[in-house]
Amino acid sequence: MRPISCRIAAPLLGSVLMLGSGTGWALEDRVVVMTSYPDELVQRYEQAFERANPGTDLQILWKPSRDAAVELAKPDQGGIDVYWTPSLGSFPRMRDAGAFRPLAVDRAVLPGVVDGQFVSDRQGFFEAFEVAGYGLIVNPAALARDGLPQPATWRDLAATRWRGRLALPIAGQVGFSGALYDILLQAEGWEAGWALLGEAAADATLIGSGGQVSESVVNGEADVAVTVDFFARSAIANGHPVALVYPPRTAFLPAQVAITRGALHPDAARAFVDFVLSAPGQALLFHPDIRRYPVRPAVYAQAPAGTINPFQRTGAESYTYDMEAGLGRHGLIASLFEKLIAERHDRLKALWGAIHAAEAALAAKPDPERAVLVARARLLAGFVPVAGGDVDRLAPTFQERRSNRNPEERAALQKDWSARVDAAQAEALDLARRALPTP
Amino acid sequence: MMRRAVLLAAALLGISAPLRADEAVTVPIQGRDAFSRPLPGLDPAQRAAFHAGRSLFQQVWTVGPSEVRPDLDGLGPLSNRQSCIACHVKNGRGEPPEGEGDVLRSTLVRLSVPGGKPGGAPPPHPVYGDQFNPDGIPGVPGEGRATLIWSERVERLADGTPVALRQPELRLSDLAHGPLGSEVMTSVRMAPPIIGLGLLEAVSESDLLALADPDDRDGDGVRGRANLVWDAARGAFALGRFGLKANQPSLRQQNAGAFDGDLGLTSTLFPRHGCTAAQTACLAAVAGVGPELDDEQLDLVTLYTRALAVPERRDVDDPLVRVGEGLFAAIGCAACHTPTLRTGPSPSLPQLAGRTIHPYTDLLLHDMGEGLADGRPDFQATGRQWRTPPLWGLGLTAAVADRATYLHDGRARSPLEAILWHGGEAETAREAVRRMPSLNRKALLAFLDSL
Repeated sequence: MRPISCRIAAPLLGSVLMLGSGTGWALEDRVVVMTSYPDELVQRYEQAFERANPGTDLQILWKPSRDAAVELAKPDQGGIDVYWTPSLGSFPRMRDAGAFRPLAVDRAVLPGVVDGQFVSDRQGFFEAFEVAGYGLIVNPAALARDGLPQPATWRDLAATRWRGRLALPIAGQVGFSGALYDILLQAEGWEAGWALLGEAAADATLIGSGGQVSESVVNGEADVAVTVDFFARSAIANGHPVALVYPPRTAFLPAQVAITRGALHPDAARAFVDFVLSAPGQALLFHPDIRRYPVRPAVYAQAPAGTINPFQRTGAESYTYDMEAGLGRHGLIASLFEKLIAERHDRLKALWGAIHAAEAALAAKPDPERAVLVARARLLAGFVPVAGGDVDRLAPTFQERRSNRNPEERAALQKDWSARVDAAQAEALDLARRALPTP
Repeated sequence: MMRRAVLLAAALLGISAPLRADEAVTVPIQGRDAFSRPLPGLDPAQRAAFHAGRSLFQQVWTVGPSEVRPDLDGLGPLSNRQSCIACHVKNGRGEPPEGEGDVLRSTLVRLSVPGGKPGGAPPPHPVYGDQFNPDGIPGVPGEGRATLIWSERVERLADGTPVALRQPELRLSDLAHGPLGSEVMTSVRMAPPIIGLGLLEAVSESDLLALADPDDRDGDGVRGRANLVWDAARGAFALGRFGLKANQPSLRQQNAGAFDGDLGLTSTLFPRHGCTAAQTACLAAVAGVGPELDDEQLDLVTLYTRALAVPERRDVDDPLVRVGEGLFAAIGCAACHTPTLRTGPSPSLPQLAGRTIHPYTDLLLHDMGEGLADGRPDFQATGRQWRTPPLWGLGLTAAVADRATYLHDGRARSPLEAILWHGGEAETAREAVRRMPSLNRKALLAFLDSL
C-alpha cells in the first residue's frame, strides 16, 4: 500500500477530491462506512455507489454518534473506513483526536461555505456532505380555514393565536432540537429567546420524537411546528399539503464525511467520498424521501421545482449563526428546556393564560397601574435562571447531555434553577391575577 | 362512441354497484405515502404505539454493544438488510435487482433441501441455512452474492399486441462456504406490501376454509388449498395466512420470523440464531443471552403492521372502471382474488372487528403453473403453489415506489405482465385476458388501477 500522501497529491479531472473513483486502479473489494443516517437515505447511496463501482461492496455500520466515537477510538478504529453522518459536534472532536486523514477538496466545485456559514473543516480533515435548515412546518389550509396568517418569524410563535395548534420538540429527547433552539436563541437573544419559548410552549404540544414533530402537522394534530427542514420537505415531496417557512434569521447546518486515519480500504473509501460529493451523489439528495440540501452548487440546476437554494437564499436577514459556539450549548439548552418548560408545562399554561387574560382586559380597558403589573408578570414569566453572560461558562458542565458526567454539579445547579424558576413564576402568576379587573 | 360502448358492455355484464371501501378502515390518500397512514380511529395510546412501532420498523439496527441504544443492537451475525423498511420500501413492495451488476437488496432467497416430512417445514440447507444472508457483521463473512440475470421473450396477445415478459435466473456467487450443491432448492421472494394486514388477520379461519376447494368440487378449475403451518407460540399447526406461500400463521410470527431471518435478531418466538455448524465465525459472534428484540418491541412492530391502513379506491364510478370490475368477476379472476371478506373478532385491535373489506384475496394456495413455480415446497404448499396476494392498493404501487414491479420475484413490470404470467388454476382467466378486445383489456386494467 502506497502512502496516502502520495495518492492525495495526484490530481484527476472530474473528481471532487484529488483522487477517487475512475482512477484506473482497482478499488478494494469493500468499503466500511459508519453512519447514523436513516435507511431511506443510506439505501439509495449504497445502490448507486455499488452500481458505479462494481466489485466494491459498501458495508454499512449504523451507530449513534456516541457509539461511533467509541468505535473510532479503538486502536483499529473498528475497521471503519469512512465516517459519514449528521453529527455536528462529532467531527471536530474526532479530528482533534487524530481519527481522520486529510482530504484534498476542489473548492471551485465545493465551496465549503453555505449561507455565510463555513460548513467544512478549515483544516481539511472532513467535508460537508449536505446541509439542513431549521424552520416551521405549517398546514396552510388549516390556518386559512380559521383566518390565520402563516407564522413567518420565531417571534410569531409566541402569539396567542396558535393556542393548541403548535407542536415543539422536547430538547432533551429530539436530536435536532439542540441546534434548532440554539439557532432561535442566538437569533432572538438568550433571555428574550427563552421568554419566547416559554410563552410559545405554554399552549403547545411537546413531542419527544423528531419525526413525530412534522408528522403532527401532516396528520392534523397540530397546524404549526418547529423542525429541521428535511422532515417537512420530504412530507411536501410525498404529497402532503403542508408548507415550510424559514424565519429570516435561521441557519443551514451540515452533515459531514471523513476518511479514517487507519482506513483499511483507502481507495474504496476515497471512491465513496468522491461519490457522495459528486454531481450524481449530490443530486440524490433531491430524492423525495431524502430532501436535504446539496453542498455542490452546480447540482441545483437539477433541483425539483420549488427548491430553495441555500447558496442564493433571498429574504434572509443579515445574520450569521455561530455554529461553533452553539455546539457546546446543546446540553445546557436541553437541561434548561427540561426545567423551564417540560417539567412545568401545566404551570406554564396557567401562568401564560393568566397573563394573556390580563393583557386582553387591559386592551379592552386601559389601566396604567394594571399595565405595570402585567409587564412585570411577563418579565418574570420569561425568567431564565442562566444569564446570557454565563452560558459559555456553564455549557461544558452539560455538554454530554446523555452522560452522567458532573452529576453532583449538574444536580446542584438544576436544584437552584428550579427554586428560582418556581419563585419567579409564582410571583408572575400572582401579579397577573392581581392585574385582572375584579368582577 | 367509446363511452357508449363501455356503458353497453357494462349493461351486458350486469354490473352492480361498485365495491367501496369501508370508510372506517381506509384512508383517502394517493401520494407516495399512500401505504404509510394509520387506520382511522386509533385512540391516543394506539396512535402512540403505532408511531413507536413505525420508528422500530424504520430503524437501522446496529451491531452491539451499544452504550447509547442497547435496545437497538443485535443485528446479525448474518443478515439480508439492516432495517424492515429497507425491503418493504415505504411499506410497499421491494425492488428486484436490475442485472448482474446489481445485488438483491429488497428481495431474498429462501433455501432448502429435499427430504422434509410431507406437509412440514422445508428442511434448511445444511451449510447455508434456510435463507441466503449476503451480509455479515464485522468478522463474519456474508454468505455470498445474489444476483438475477434477466431473459426476455415477447408474448403476443390475440389482437397482435406484443408484451415483453422477463424471467429471472438466480445466480449465487462468491459463496463463503463453497457450493450449495445440486440438490438445493431456492425461491426468490420480493418483499410484499404490508398494508391491511391486521384486517386479513381478523378474517375468521372458518371463513377462509369455506373458500377452499382442494378437490375442485365445483368444477371451475380453481381449487384453493389452505396451508397448515407451525404456530410457534401455540406449539401446534395452524392456518397459514401471511407470507408469499402463506407459511406464517400470525402477524406476530411473520414479523418475528422476518426479524430473525432478514436481520438476525432473536426474539422469544425465535430465540436461537440460524448459524449452522459450518458457519464457525457466525457461531463465534453469537453473544449474550435473551432475545435481542424484546416482546414489547415485537408487539409495537406488530401493532404498526396490524394498523397500517389501506388507501381508498379511486375512480370507482368511472364507467371504464366499472366495466373492468365486471370483467374481473366474469372471467374468473375473482375466484381466487376474492373481492369481499368479513372480519371477525379482533381483540388485539378492536377497530378491525366486524368490517366488510375488499382485499381481493382468499389467502389460499393456488397452483400458478410452471412459469411461476419455484419448485420449493413450504409446509402444504407445493413448488407450483402461491398464496393469492391481496390486490388492494395495487393501483398506487407506481405512486409509492421508485420502480413498480409485481409478482413474487418482481419479474412483472406492469399488471398486464403479471396477468400473463398466471398459469395453472389461473390459466383460463389469463387466456381470457389474452383474447380480450383491447377496450375490455383497458377496462380491466383501469379497474386494477383503481384498487
